[in-house]
Amino acid sequence: MKIFIQTLINGILIGGVYAAYSAGFSLIFGVMDVINLAHGELLMLGAFTAYWLFKISHIDPYLSIPIAGVLLFLLGYFIQRFLINRVIEKPAIMSYILTFGLHLIIANTAVKLWTHDFRSITTSYSGANFSILGITIPVTRFTTFILAFIIVGFLFYLLEKTDLGRAIRATAQNKKVAQLLGVDVKKIYALTFAIGAAITGIAGASISPFVILFPEMGLSYTIIAFCVVVLGGMGYIPGALIGGIILGVIQALTVTYINAGISVAITFILLFIMLIFKPTGITGKGNV
Amino acid sequence: MKKLLLILIIFVLVASLPLFGIDRYYMRFFTYLFMWIALAGCWNISSGYTGYIDFGPVVYFGIGSYSTAILMTLLKIPFFISIFAGGIIALIISTFIGLPTLKLKGAYFAIATFAFAESMKQIILCFDRTFHVKFFMGSYGITLPICNNYNLFYYLMLLIAGIIVVITFFIEKTRFGLALKAINESEEASQMIGINTTLIKLSAYMISAFFISVVGGIYAYWVTYITPDDVFNVHKTVQMVIMSLIGGMGTLIGPILGATFLSSISEYLGAEFVENYLIIVGIIVVLVILIEPSGLYGLKKWKKYLKQTK
Amino acid sequence: MKKILFIFFMGFFLIFSTLQAKEFKIGVAVALTGKFGKAGNLVKDAYTYWQEAVNKKGGIKVNGKNYPVKLIFYDDKSDPATGAKMIDRLINRDRVDLLLGGFGSSQVFAESAVAEKYGFPLISGAASSNKLFQRGFKYYFSTLGKATEEVKGCVYAFANLKNKPKTAAIVGADILFTSLACEGFKKYCKKNGIKIVHYELFPMRLQDYNSLFMKVKEKNPDVLFVGSHLLVAMRTIKALKEINYTPKGIAFSYGPTVPKFVGDLKGDAEYVVAASEWTPNLPYKGKVLGSAKEFAANYYKKYGRMPDYVEAASAGGAIAQQLAIEALGLTPPLKDRDREKIAKWLHSHTVNTFYGKIKFDSDGANIAHPALAIQIQNGKIKTIYPDNVKDANLIYPMKPWKDR
Repeated sequence: MKIFIQTLINGILIGGVYAAYSAGFSLIFGVMDVINLAHGELLMLGAFTAYWLFKISHIDPYLSIPIAGVLLFLLGYFIQRFLINRVIEKPAIMSYILTFGLHLIIANTAVKLWTHDFRSITTSYSGANFSILGITIPVTRFTTFILAFIIVGFLFYLLEKTDLGRAIRATAQNKKVAQLLGVDVKKIYALTFAIGAAITGIAGASISPFVILFPEMGLSYTIIAFCVVVLGGMGYIPGALIGGIILGVIQALTVTYINAGISVAITFILLFIMLIFKPTGITGKGNV
Repeated sequence: MKKLLLILIIFVLVASLPLFGIDRYYMRFFTYLFMWIALAGCWNISSGYTGYIDFGPVVYFGIGSYSTAILMTLLKIPFFISIFAGGIIALIISTFIGLPTLKLKGAYFAIATFAFAESMKQIILCFDRTFHVKFFMGSYGITLPICNNYNLFYYLMLLIAGIIVVITFFIEKTRFGLALKAINESEEASQMIGINTTLIKLSAYMISAFFISVVGGIYAYWVTYITPDDVFNVHKTVQMVIMSLIGGMGTLIGPILGATFLSSISEYLGAEFVENYLIIVGIIVVLVILIEPSGLYGLKKWKKYLKQTK
Repeated sequence: MKKILFIFFMGFFLIFSTLQAKEFKIGVAVALTGKFGKAGNLVKDAYTYWQEAVNKKGGIKVNGKNYPVKLIFYDDKSDPATGAKMIDRLINRDRVDLLLGGFGSSQVFAESAVAEKYGFPLISGAASSNKLFQRGFKYYFSTLGKATEEVKGCVYAFANLKNKPKTAAIVGADILFTSLACEGFKKYCKKNGIKIVHYELFPMRLQDYNSLFMKVKEKNPDVLFVGSHLLVAMRTIKALKEINYTPKGIAFSYGPTVPKFVGDLKGDAEYVVAASEWTPNLPYKGKVLGSAKEFAANYYKKYGRMPDYVEAASAGGAIAQQLAIEALGLTPPLKDRDREKIAKWLHSHTVNTFYGKIKFDSDGANIAHPALAIQIQNGKIKTIYPDNVKDANLIYPMKPWKDR
């Protein structure tokens, strides 16, 4: 029984981590219909921001979070304003390929700058964990789990309760009408992408204490973001949490009760089946 | 008509190269090039005209490789029958996968095809261990009988590339091609005028799957040793997409241009400076999308434009 | 324009090189990018080090004359098919006299097949899959032992303890080298009466190791053996710490000998055991690169890091080939029958180098080398097995994470 509960908790925690770094992806798709194939690179840059600040200035990775957020916000704004904006009116495939080109450029430039080295941040609290009723919970992972809720909550608040959020939602629903009502669509898109990038950068910084970093790490995370966001519903922000946790739990259960190979296979089989039978996600609230 | 003649002439020239005694290295380079022309051409058939961006074509490459490998090693079936059988297997699988996936649009179709490809890779990787059999050999890979006949692979790949070019030519000239392009413009309108869009899309998908699988089978015998990570690798999909895109999607010579262009710069740069090569490819991709989405093929538009402004 | 210049220079160079041939041209196809890019670069550094040391003395000495060595490196992008192509290029375009091996069993597998076809000896110091030796090749050599044998030292190090472990769990990444390493762990555990309570391979795509190691924790084996490369080894340590699981001992097939492991993981790397085929403190020496200690010290001077055993094995292979050339009195440009002679010589001679004794079995594997095991103690790599070369005793059991 204890194994079952520990597995469940493991799954929920890793699910939260998944959600933290997939929320930005969902936001960008939901508002702009752009599949950002350079998503993982934004995460990687956030993580490396934390790493270098740690290595060079001994700044704790958690304190780097706001810095990563700001840097990625600016990068995201720039990418959207000067690159993606040019293809936003055209068929969606152009934006995927464009972001894919960006993925190649960013990941390989990072390799040139930082080499293929695998890096790790080891702090005094690395690997720290606490036990509740015999269940072990790693601290850094738990922190990112909480962060996921903060991110989703923040986005929810932003979209529902602020003017900017209303403008974003209006643009997402009907671009032409929003324009007629005086919304500067280009600026909204740039801000949305910037926010999505900032969140992803923050998630990157927050996972840096417990993952192994290397410049090409991005792609694996982009792939997980697909899975999470499809499960939860593309473009539906709270869906990132739901999708993430469901994916995490299924993976944990299959690793424990079958084997690791099957758990990875099931991740993709599940993604495929969801798309065939329920592309709007488990919640049914995804944009199609 | 002139286009076809030009292609034919190049084809004959290239086919006679080995007779003039080019060295082994160049034969390998060209065999590779033909393989990519074939693969990019297949992707172009299934995705270039309809605009349904398939992100999982490598799955049929892997299916072809593994079918051929297993048939040749376990059942001792001769090479040519094996690759053909591999093609048939891909044809069957693509029917079952194509039907549900082609109902999806845009991003969802892309992700679904990718998901299927990754699933296949992971299944083949952990199958043996999970079910306690010795069939796919997982990470140990399968070793095929050795064949040192450079000429065989050169001509086989050239033949397949040629077949794909001919098929693409016929697609462009017939109503099948028109239907594919119509689906790209507006699937709803196409349906309304009576085009069975499902059948059309599925046909293109299946043709592509068959030939990708055959190429995969030839590849397996050529490199003699395959692993799931090699023959189901998403990087192969990426190559197919980029080659088609850079050359010009939905055109006859687009995949040929794209494959040749990318293979060449990969040769000059890629041997020693792969990151530079990938960064440059990334920049080219971005530039193509921003400036000339019809790729290299679209450049001829510029030629006309320049001529006019003179 | 660039293309024309390139062809011009290539042509000029080709003509120049065939006329002159005052040097030995050795080609290497190795992973400089891609998932083995890091390790492949280590191999490149090792060969470069050997080349510079040899050229400093004037070159390879044959019949009283010195012939400098020129190395040509091509990137196989961690892809076997590219590797094969590069070997073709080195042999047919660059017309190299000899080759040296790259990194990684899959790549070397393809590369050596091409080399075999042309009758070029290929000595690799960075690939150890058993399959490499099962092909009946005459031109393939490896200064490393087979993957399943490389890890022998790790198991024996534990098995030879008075309070030897009774149970073990074996886990590893599902790629060629690491899955074979796991087979090796299994084989030697069985031989030593250590019961295997868990055996599992996982795909590289697995992101979260916690659940996997939680399973192992539940079964509570005395020792955990991991089939790993650097990435897997680093991830494993982080995961074990997070789930608060300290087995009495851990051994990795590869990873801890790379300086980054200790560098980035610091105290968490302590007590970790790993397989090795060479450490700097071994009493080996040879005439080309001196003693093991000297090699390590000079390597550190040049690159700012200690060499790991794959680098040593690669340099060792380069030396073996050099010694064959010198013994046979061959001058460049080499002909096919010269290379055949080299292959035959390598099969029939034992050489002494800083890397230890090198003796190639009929299948190409190096059988003069005991498999070693090292342990990280106080941030330093200490040889703990076999007894006749160890410089420290195995510390067992490990101190739990919380007590460090």
